[in-house]
Amino acid sequence: MQQLARGERDALGPLMERHNRRLFRIALSYLRDVDEAMDAVQETFVKAYQAAARWDPVSDVGPWLSRIAVNHSIDCYRRRRRRQQSEAPMPEQTTEYDARWRTGDPSPESEAAGREIGHRIATALQALPERQRTIFVLRHYDERSLPEIADTLGMSLGTVKSSLHRAVARLRERLGRVTA
Amino acid sequence: MTLFHGRWRVRVSLLAAGALEPHEEPAVRAHLASCDACRADHELSARALEVLGRDPVRSAEMPLSVASLRTRVLARLDEAPAPRPFRWGFAGAGLAAAALAVAIVPTILEHTSHSSADRPVATEKLVSDEVMARMERRVARDSAARYLDEAQDLLVTVSAHPADCEKEHGRIDVGEEARRSRDLLERRALMVELGGDEVASAQPLLDDVEGLLREVAALPECVRADSLDAIHRQMERRKVLMKIDLLTRELRG
Repeated sequence: MQQLARGERDALGPLMERHNRRLFRIALSYLRDVDEAMDAVQETFVKAYQAAARWDPVSDVGPWLSRIAVNHSIDCYRRRRRRQQSEAPMPEQTTEYDARWRTGDPSPESEAAGREIGHRIATALQALPERQRTIFVLRHYDERSLPEIADTLGMSLGTVKSSLHRAVARLRERLGRVTA
Repeated sequence: MTLFHGRWRVRVSLLAAGALEPHEEPAVRAHLASCDACRADHELSARALEVLGRDPVRSAEMPLSVASLRTRVLARLDEAPAPRPFRWGFAGAGLAAAALAVAIVPTILEHTSHSSADRPVATEKLVSDEVMARMERRVARDSAARYLDEAQDLLVTVSAHPADCEKEHGRIDVGEEARRSRDLLERRALMVELGGDEVASAQPLLDDVEGLLREVAALPECVRADSLDAIHRQMERRKVLMKIDLLTRELRG
């Protein structure tokens, strides 16, 4: 990061190597669109490079990058939502399971099951209030500890705990039919 | 289940999510062993989280190599810097500086000409009226577009029911949105003074948006969902979001 702060672009490679996968999953969990998620990862590194001089060397770079990715994904998601609402007010939100995400070579049955479950989860996540959703994404998709999430988002630990609890409760309701 | 269980509910959820702090875990597990209701609660949460764990996104791989990503990022960095978002402060400072220049420079030049009579007298303004007028028009358009953009974002958030109220069960927390509406209304007042005729064509829509913002600004911190639905219906009836989209595009040229 210090090299990045000095404007050395070669420092981007190791940073991408280490963080691109998890940033992609964060962005994808929000956007559910491979191309938009790739753009979000790209923009995260662009912003990280441009803001590297302001990075606090005492703090860990992982949460900092996560925050940039989350903020960018939220912006993209809001723009999309605004576009959808202005074109056709309050549409049913849908998500596509993109074969490009998948790892390995699943059978048609497991691919269909993955598509179904991915769709249900996306719909349930989209129904969460923004704060709960961000906290849940950082916990579930980025596997951050609660103190790390509190630090990343500048919130108290108590707020993070209660928001995660509410998120789990809401998701439980939404996914009730799947889990039954 | 008693009120006492409320204290355990958060910890039971966190245990299911694997997010409980290690030192808290034995106490919660001991409680689960003796409480059927909390144990059932824990099982339901654990089952939902097990389903969430099957989300293909959790194991998704980025279909782009690091080398390709790096190429894309470097290309993006080499592009001309994107136009910076409009800032009230910068625009205000720019206008103030220009106005100051228009006001002061002729005086300075006049003063200089008195002190050295043999030099030619400078009579031209440093910033012409035409340039000033153009700057003002640009500022008015930018500020109107930005205001509408932010108002649209706020109205969309309000109609989507932002968050549950923690103080009153069954109500929606719009405290933040009400505060933002008041900020936007203050900016609106400034914008009209600044914009004058330039934003006149946008007047009917600005009035509609202002009316909606006033309704949001007047909401208490926690409201019933039907209050927000009423605002949403007004937005739909007047096609406010679509009009904002069209107008901001026009204002930004």
